[in-house]
Amino acid sequence: MSTATSTAPLGAEKADENRSLIGLRRPDHTTGLADWLTTVDHKKIAIMYAIFSLAFLVIGGIEALIIRAQLAVAENQLITAEVYNQLFTMHGTTMVFLAVMPLSAAFFNYLVPLQIGARDVAFPRLNSFSLWTFVAGAIILNISWLFQAANLLGWFNPIDGRSDIVPAVGWFGYAPYTDTAYSGIGTDFWILGLQVLGIGSLAAAFNFIVTIFNMRAPGMLMMRLPVFTWMTLITSFLIIFAFPPLTVALGELMFDRYFGTSFFRVEGGGQPILWQHLFWIFGHPEVYILILPAMGIISEILPVFSRKPLFGYSLIIFSGAVIGFLGFAVWSHHMFTTGLGTVGTAAFSLLTMAIAVPTGVKIFNWIGTLWGGKIRFDVPMIYGLGFIWMFMMGGFSGIMHSSAPADSQQHDTYFVVAHFHYVLIGGSILALLAGLYFWFPKVTGRMWQGKLGHWSAIVIVIGLNWTFFPMHYLGMAGMPRRTHTYLEGTGWQALNFAVTIGAFILAVGILMFLIDMLRTYRKGVPAGNDPWNARTLEWSIPSPPPVHNFDRTPVVKARDAFWLHKFGTVDQKIGSVDPGAHGVHMPSKSWMPLLTSSGFLVFGIAMAMKSAGVPLMGYLAITGLSITLIGIYLWALEGPGGYHLHPEGEHRPH
Amino acid sequence: MSAATEVTESQEHVPTGMHPKKLMMWLFLASDCMFFGTLISTHLIYRKIYPDVGPDPRSIFDIELTTGSSFILLMSSLFMALAVSAIHKGELKSFRRNTVLVMIFGLLFLSGQVYEFYDFAVNKDFKLTTGTFGSSFYLMTGTHGVHVALGILWLGSLFAYSYTKHFKAETHAMDVEVAGLYWHFVDIVWIVIFTAVYLLEYVSF
Amino acid sequence: MSAIASADPAAQETFLREERKRYFTFMNLAFLMTALTGIELVLIYLPFPSQTIIYFTLIFLSLIKFVGVIFWFMHLLWDKAFLTIVFLFGMVIASGTIAALLLLFSEGYVDPAMGIYEAD
Ligand code: HEM
Ligand SMILES: [Cu+2]
Repeated sequence: MSTATSTAPLGAEKADENRSLIGLRRPDHTTGLADWLTTVDHKKIAIMYAIFSLAFLVIGGIEALIIRAQLAVAENQLITAEVYNQLFTMHGTTMVFLAVMPLSAAFFNYLVPLQIGARDVAFPRLNSFSLWTFVAGAIILNISWLFQAANLLGWFNPIDGRSDIVPAVGWFGYAPYTDTAYSGIGTDFWILGLQVLGIGSLAAAFNFIVTIFNMRAPGMLMMRLPVFTWMTLITSFLIIFAFPPLTVALGELMFDRYFGTSFFRVEGGGQPILWQHLFWIFGHPEVYILILPAMGIISEILPVFSRKPLFGYSLIIFSGAVIGFLGFAVWSHHMFTTGLGTVGTAAFSLLTMAIAVPTGVKIFNWIGTLWGGKIRFDVPMIYGLGFIWMFMMGGFSGIMHSSAPADSQQHDTYFVVAHFHYVLIGGSILALLAGLYFWFPKVTGRMWQGKLGHWSAIVIVIGLNWTFFPMHYLGMAGMPRRTHTYLEGTGWQALNFAVTIGAFILAVGILMFLIDMLRTYRKGVPAGNDPWNARTLEWSIPSPPPVHNFDRTPVVKARDAFWLHKFGTVDQKIGSVDPGAHGVHMPSKSWMPLLTSSGFLVFGIAMAMKSAGVPLMGYLAITGLSITLIGIYLWALEGPGGYHLHPEGEHRPH
Repeated sequence: MSAATEVTESQEHVPTGMHPKKLMMWLFLASDCMFFGTLISTHLIYRKIYPDVGPDPRSIFDIELTTGSSFILLMSSLFMALAVSAIHKGELKSFRRNTVLVMIFGLLFLSGQVYEFYDFAVNKDFKLTTGTFGSSFYLMTGTHGVHVALGILWLGSLFAYSYTKHFKAETHAMDVEVAGLYWHFVDIVWIVIFTAVYLLEYVSF
Repeated sequence: MSAIASADPAAQETFLREERKRYFTFMNLAFLMTALTGIELVLIYLPFPSQTIIYFTLIFLSLIKFVGVIFWFMHLLWDKAFLTIVFLFGMVIASGTIAALLLLFSEGYVDPAMGIYEAD
């Protein structure tokens, strides 16, 4: 339709484009809050993802600190066992789904269109829908704390047996704990929250795959894509294949809880073990969903700070794809102790060992990139080097888990906790922080001053090792995970105390990082377009980038396009496509994605309330779904709209 | 229709030559394979390890009816293919006629399913809560039924939309085609369910 | 791919001819699949000595229908190969997962003494 309006005479165009096809006014000229709520600009959406996820990183971090305070000394009674369960559940769920995943999504959003030379993602309104659906899911999960507070104040009382209000079943929600007989409405918040988050992630993943295939600038062949974009692509494929099993498993669990089926209920013949299988069919690819974007970020940073092209570009991409594919064939390594049978155990053991190969290949490639380079130790690089080393440590303990006999000693002990925190904090989080530092000047146009950033990196790496290295020993000494407390005389006291100190050091490091970010945002010096002498397209445009990204669509001649533009031959310079008389077409903003997502929020909370025995909540849940349905219809009917910008001529939004 | 018509401009340069909406739909369908795959696995696993839970399937299944349903859904797929072909040729009337037929056949399929569920639950005492068999059977076939219902809603919306002044065969052919892909997919899921869940129960080793 | 969008009358002509041919293809395919569905029904009533053959025939017939729908009705045959790859990728992962799960859950998994069969 917009193509039609763009050829229409100017006056008619103006009238048409301010109103959508259903006659509602398009929020194109809103400012302030309404602007953020209706925006379809991938950069603004990215910034919101980042802010939300950093907030959840802090919330999840506080939960972890309380956990560590409880475990600091033996037989501690700082918090009850019930609250302890809630804390470790919410900590894990928050960190995985509300901190690392959305922070990765923030990078996808900000960088992919810029790196491929596009104006936006393929479906801008769907992108906004993904963001708000994520927010809805996050609220559903965390609002349980408020209901628990209301319960303590006596304002809210679930029916008998449902008064465990905050999720307390672990981030993996193992059956049969999740049964109504053993857990309260916390589990319902957890199910509904994850279900909604899954919808948001799926929508985003479809969007990014289409964007990467279809929106590339001329000349941006697949094998010229920046590695970060490649990793986004692979991660998105992992999401679209890994989330449906989780959706089904959660749906089955929901039916068990609400409609008396017996998928996982032992009384009805259900097999709790089936839940474990379904969860890990999702769960193992999920851990790669958490790490592959981080690997992409590192593969962008290392070449820039070594002043060398990435070593083994194709190999890095190929091993990323192999990791992604094999990731679907190793899930039972989380279940070695459940009795899979000899063949099953051996097969999953071997496949898990195999998956360490492409992971190792990547590490060699990164070292190869550093080798002989002109290394500059700025903040992103310090984080990046920390990543290589720390991630490798986590990989080592991973390989130790892959041997089933060894794992039967390590399983469900602190050794596993050490493993996944090395890969998640030492891997994902360090890389994401590296990326935040690296692209912060691009996003805000400001550059930090002073050494706080350097110190934050150093303190975080020290804190991380201080916290998690001793856990290997604790695990070997037999300390189980997910225990509220432990006895005097187990021999675990000293190390636990050390671990707690480490956790606070880590927290200080994160705090330094946050302070540095805020300070730079408020007082940073102008960064310029290309402060790092970097290699990819996003550095060729102003910082912060204008709303339409590129004045003219670039024409790419080679991999590392911007580097060759600066230092290559004349025919390697980036070309451009003339936008023509009607300028750059911009998509209209819209309220509909927000409306559609808000239906999920109503639905999720109403379902949990229904489980708590609050009357009429079934109807409210249906209302929620109706809101979503109405949202979808209005969305489809309003039409895409759009207006034109003339970046090179007069700045005239119609 | 939901992700809607917003891609118009992004088609300016499509390096892969694939329409974004079509690519999107195929990705969704690939992902939906995992979705139905999980549901079907659950069912098959429980049938495998608890062959004797709940009633004997052969004594409750009305296989002639189900075969009829399968035939109906196959026919609806034919009309869907014809509807897509019609809209590509710009034949609006033929598009509408075929779409109505798809919806009618879809509704017939759904009524067959409603009848089947009713018959099972009321006459044959086989309910959602009948152990693992009831759970997985109803959730799986029910989810498929919901997919059919959503498909009917989608096609119905396109059908109604085709009477508005905004609808143009050229611009909306892709919307119809994408809805068609979804519809055919629902059909192939049924092909799998029909064999794996119904027919194979009759084979005894 | 819509030919009406293309201004070239010659391309339009070929497109229409193709579409008309497809009409018959679709019809034939539908008849074939109806017949197969009928055969499936008959097969399960056959007192055939080897049930294994019936088992695999049923699976084979459903596979034919499956392929018929995706390649003809869903146009994969005439569309970009990449779409086929994407979809088959999903199919491969899904079937692999189903197969692995079915192998992992063996009949011996459940102790009949558990009393589960009385539960319904
Ligand atoms: C060299 C590659 C890796 C191997 C061989 C590996 C292997 C394993 C194994 C066998 C377990 C199960 C341990 C047990 O519960 O007994 C495990 C747990 C885990 N791994 Fe890894 N892993 C690798 C990399 C990663 C990465 C990159 C991540 C995420 C960024 C990750 C995250 C996790 C998590 C979160 C768990 C614990 C899940 C839980 O029980 O809650 N792993 N890993
Ligand atoms: Cu794993």
